[in-house]
Amino acid sequence: MVKFESLSYIYAKDMPYATTAIEDIDLEIAKGKITAIIGKTGSGKSTLIQHLNALLLPTKGKLVIEDHVIEADKKATDLKALRKKVGLVFQFSEYQLFEETILKDVAFGPKNFGLSEEEAIKKAKEALKLVGLDETYYTRSPLDVSGGQKRRAAIAGILAIEPEIIVLDEPTAGLDPRGSKEMIELFYRLNKDLHKTIILVTHDNEIVYNYADEVVLLDKGHIIEKKEAKAFFEDTALLDELDILRPQIIALKEALNKKGASIGDDVHSIDDLAKYWRQHG
Amino acid sequence: MDKIVFGKYIPLDTPIHALDPRAKILAMLVVLVAIFLPAGWLGYLFIGIAIGIVIILAKIKFKVILRAFKPMMFMMIFLLVINILSVKEGTVLVDFDIFGHDFTIYADAIFDTLYIIVRLLLMIMITTVLTMTTKPLDLTLGIEYLLTPFKVIHVPAHEIAMMISIALRFIPTIIEETMRIMNAQKSRGVDFEEGKLSEKISAIVSLIVPLFSVSLQRADELANAMEARGYAPDGKRTRYRRLKYAFRDIVLLGGAIAILVMMIILAFVI
Repeated sequence: MVKFESLSYIYAKDMPYATTAIEDIDLEIAKGKITAIIGKTGSGKSTLIQHLNALLLPTKGKLVIEDHVIEADKKATDLKALRKKVGLVFQFSEYQLFEETILKDVAFGPKNFGLSEEEAIKKAKEALKLVGLDETYYTRSPLDVSGGQKRRAAIAGILAIEPEIIVLDEPTAGLDPRGSKEMIELFYRLNKDLHKTIILVTHDNEIVYNYADEVVLLDKGHIIEKKEAKAFFEDTALLDELDILRPQIIALKEALNKKGASIGDDVHSIDDLAKYWRQHG
Repeated sequence: MDKIVFGKYIPLDTPIHALDPRAKILAMLVVLVAIFLPAGWLGYLFIGIAIGIVIILAKIKFKVILRAFKPMMFMMIFLLVINILSVKEGTVLVDFDIFGHDFTIYADAIFDTLYIIVRLLLMIMITTVLTMTTKPLDLTLGIEYLLTPFKVIHVPAHEIAMMISIALRFIPTIIEETMRIMNAQKSRGVDFEEGKLSEKISAIVSLIVPLFSVSLQRADELANAMEARGYAPDGKRTRYRRLKYAFRDIVLLGGAIAILVMMIILAFVI
């Protein structure tokens, strides 16, 4: 379980240009679920998730992650254990690659967390398999494969650490549609098969609607809304109020209902819609 | 990231800020030469007062200048140790035995070190004032103007100025990039603060390699963007901003030259 308790973070505190990035955040993120954090650029999403890895320490309030407690004005201890538990995949994570070969790079994380060379290599191979990079990539330089493959290698570098909680900042940004879909389905599988808690920052409402369990909406450093994902997007009045783009299927349903259909809240995909049509059409 | 404020431009409206960048650069060069003349303590006192007046006029807090000194502390101590070990002239100050080794400190060792330190401090003060009161772009524009006469002997004035402005422009970007990569590697269990030497080296490598690769990529993109907008280093171009000397610039240069003359007199005539 992850719990933020009235947590605030101020950048460049005590400086004339200090800015409050997030303020008074109270948030509980359920274990074993996919939680999407959405909001406009500059709403504080990245600041929020960097706390999960103690890369930023709260200016006020506290953060509880399982048995780790990080409090303002207290020295954070045992960061390594925390970082082993929470894997953070940064936006454009491909820039963290540096070893001579992809396999070595992916094994870098587990080695830092104390695994032996052979164990780390074993974990690295498993992680590479998960992200869909086969043996032919093991000996290639991470710096001269394609962008999408770099991203996969970087994500494998985090998965190899085997964190319980995986935090992803815009994992699909800059990928082509197929790569993007494969990527998100990988995390969906990790959640369903290996019961990893996934925390996902994204601008893509289609992904949130189709894959997330919970939605947290941030605006100007405050939490505006926290809701079950499907219910959040079905509430079109709320979406209008918050100025949020509808997922395509919701927009389609809305248009059809305006023309006289009465498609209910249980229709979530094109397949559902087709089924509905067969029964009622 | 907040700590890197040394020499950063602070926008204020003071007579020093309003000076022509060319005049400021020239005055700085003249005073730097003056600093390196062996004019003795009286001379340094005089230069110190002159720079102090400029600092007050520029409304820079002395606290900020002091902070600029801090990184130099280590170097100063190092210098002191080297000088004590190598300079063997002047009157003997201390003479003692450490584990059977004869150990002597001479007066000149201390004096030489103090001279160097005072010179360095004055230099830091004057360059800090320059960069804190002049916009980086004005600074490069000034350098370009000053180098233009040297085009006759094939000094690429414009190219040098362009390189400096690009370098200055990318300092904050690279700092940001460094922070980001550091954070990413911390998430992978890298400890940048503690650990054995071998771990430290591996930590630095994990930072430097991505930083180089990103910077080279960025340089490539920038080169393409510049070419796409028709940039050619040897092309003729007009300027949006033109520099003009004013009366206050003459005062500044006059003052700087006066200091130089005085130092020459102190050093070689008296």
